[in-house]
Amino acid sequence: MEFHTELLPEGIVAIAGEGRLNMVSAPELRAVVEKEIGAGHTRVVVDLSEIEFIDSSGLGALVGCLKGARQAGGDLRIAGPNKQVTMVLQLSNLDRVLKSYGTAGDAYRE
Amino acid sequence: MSEPAQTLVLRSPRDNVDLVHGFLERLWVAHADIGELDRMAFETALIELVSNVIEHADTGHGVTCVIGVTVSATTLVANLSDTADAGEIQVVGRLMPSVAAESGRGIALVQMLVDDLQYERVGEKNLWSMSRNRVE
Repeated sequence: MEFHTELLPEGIVAIAGEGRLNMVSAPELRAVVEKEIGAGHTRVVVDLSEIEFIDSSGLGALVGCLKGARQAGGDLRIAGPNKQVTMVLQLSNLDRVLKSYGTAGDAYRE
Repeated sequence: MSEPAQTLVLRSPRDNVDLVHGFLERLWVAHADIGELDRMAFETALIELVSNVIEHADTGHGVTCVIGVTVSATTLVANLSDTADAGEIQVVGRLMPSVAAESGRGIALVQMLVDDLQYERVGEKNLWSMSRNRVE
């Protein structure tokens, strides 16, 4: 999967992928997020609006990226999850730690 | 009445779970009466099970996994047979790990999404069976 990175105002970075976030693509997401955190972009939003399916590998990648962002003093939030992604986040209790927003632009608007 | 099982043969590392998604996509088209929740839950569980076989059972020699899915008016059933070595596999009572864990959610998710999950080692094969009672 190819992930697209976009810098938003206030140093926020939005990372968007398209398709399935599974054992094939999860390592790629980790690599992209690590690179952005390494570049100092520690306020991350992963735009899931074009992700049609996530599995436990994808969940693991999101948790790993969340830890990395927080260790660097930032955060990781998610945007636009579909019904399947929302179901899996709820079953795994990760909806408690991965804050979800309607769009990437909303993720840090508080 | 159940229709004959639809079968898929997956050979890892040549194939990956995307093959299973394509297989299910065709199955959903052929069975448009299966509700969204049942499709989502069954697909998530089957992908987790197959991922588990590919990821944890392959000791470097590759794995062949035969997947059969049977649809009836009341259930969705998947039977898997793989050639991997026997592992220390616990399929019952797997707890969802803490939110900080980066792995270990697969089988716990399967348990939550299906009504029955069985595993047994028969000869040189691992046999898996999962069944979900349709809610729609």
